[in-house]
Amino acid sequence: MMTYIVFILSVIFVIGFVGFSSKPSPIYGGLVLIVSGGVGCGIIMNFGGSFLGLMVFLIYLGGMLVVFGYTTAMATEQYPEVWVSNATVMGVFLLGLLMEVMLVLYVLKSEEVGVVFKFSSVGHWAIYDIGNSGVFSEEIMGVAALYSYGAWVVVVTGWSLLVGVLVILEVTRGD
Amino acid sequence: MNPLILTIILMTVFLGTMIVMASSHWLMIWIGFEMNLLAIIPILMKKYNPRAMEASTKYFLTQATASMLLMMAIIINLMHSGQWTITKVFNPTASIIMTLALAMKLGLTPFHFWVPEVTQGISLTSGLILLTWQKLAPMSILYQISPSINLNILLTMAVLSILVGGWGGLNQTQLRKIMAYSSIAHMGWMTAILVYNPTLTMLNMLIYIMMTLTMFMLFIHSSSTTTLSLSHTWNKAPLITTLILITLLSMGGLPPLSGFMPKWMIIQELTKNSSIILPTLMAIMALLNLYFYTRLTYSTSLTMFPSTNNMKMKWQFETKQITLLPPLIIASSLLLPLTPMLSILD
Repeated sequence: MMTYIVFILSVIFVIGFVGFSSKPSPIYGGLVLIVSGGVGCGIIMNFGGSFLGLMVFLIYLGGMLVVFGYTTAMATEQYPEVWVSNATVMGVFLLGLLMEVMLVLYVLKSEEVGVVFKFSSVGHWAIYDIGNSGVFSEEIMGVAALYSYGAWVVVVTGWSLLVGVLVILEVTRGD
Repeated sequence: MNPLILTIILMTVFLGTMIVMASSHWLMIWIGFEMNLLAIIPILMKKYNPRAMEASTKYFLTQATASMLLMMAIIINLMHSGQWTITKVFNPTASIIMTLALAMKLGLTPFHFWVPEVTQGISLTSGLILLTWQKLAPMSILYQISPSINLNILLTMAVLSILVGGWGGLNQTQLRKIMAYSSIAHMGWMTAILVYNPTLTMLNMLIYIMMTLTMFMLFIHSSSTTTLSLSHTWNKAPLITTLILITLLSMGGLPPLSGFMPKWMIIQELTKNSSIILPTLMAIMALLNLYFYTRLTYSTSLTMFPSTNNMKMKWQFETKQITLLPPLIIASSLLLPLTPMLSILD
């Protein structure tokens, strides 16, 4: 199972995204985002990016999602929608799950499509090899390069975030 | 809007397009598109009525979907070629997905449905920015990947866009929707020639932007958004009616006005590449466009459209200052004799 861990984590990731795309109340969307964020961190860590996985937990889950959770808690309604409360939401969720299952089957090209899942032959998507150089960790070099050669990217992303805040303020409170 | 915020947001729209046009790394291009999209939302929502909010939401949803498709195409390209630079996109899947994503951003058929609705819901100045500036960034990417675009898909979308742009505009009286359908048709002309001679795409884009700028400036000057209110310009500013006549006929592609130059060059390039039926069809479908332009000129400049008597004696308020109108008029009507200068282009 450990060889296919990235694949399994990706499937859980996509199922999580289907979960909040079927639009239950935002607080449940936040719950699913926590799961997806954690699983995404696992995927990154499997490629050797322990620092970036930690960043996902700290900044994304511990910063942005917490703020999101607080704002949705303030704006929530009396009977929030769960996945099973509304026929539409459940229908979309099941449809997304069905498409994910079909995709997984297509990727695996397994001969036994039945009750028992046997990973007999795996398509070329399921295993990624990172091709590590072995001497230094590529991931830390990547982060370091962002701040030296990639300074322009930092400027652009910082500017985008600033403009994002201004746009949101403008849109919600422009009068 | 607070002037400082407006300046920052306009600068970001400009910066986003510049980043898209000047980058060689696919990720930066995607960042540029997103920055452009993010910053243009408050410009589209200048007036706080539900119509404008709905239009901005529609624009945001379609453009965000197109950006996601573009990112997927970039990643497929990365998976198969191992590098991030913009060159020919070698993988056909990535190329097709990228073409579809950029067609969604431009408003080509079958992704044209958002253009009339978004253009109608926003103010005239925002519509101007939407239909001219926002077309520059996707077109520049199409130009850069043009050697690897699947010809069948692009030509199908182009011909269908010309058809839809002409046919869909026939039943419209709202000026912004007319300009939106005109934009769809012109995008179809531009993408039809993209694979054969991308320089002509740029030429068509240049002349289209000038003509659309002129039209919108004239509409803003007379503050008219429907055919009926445009037909009152003979009372407000008679010279504007003449200019509307000339510019509309130029948009329809009539010689000896400049709008004829891109169509002529495109048909010539297509026939040089041994496709005869296609440019014939395109030229015939451009007649649909010409029909609703001449209908506008008929009601505006050529006849005194029936109106109530108090519309015929309007007060003369202080005239609005229109930016750069005289050079735009000249550029959108008299550039045809400069056609031999096309040989200096790439």
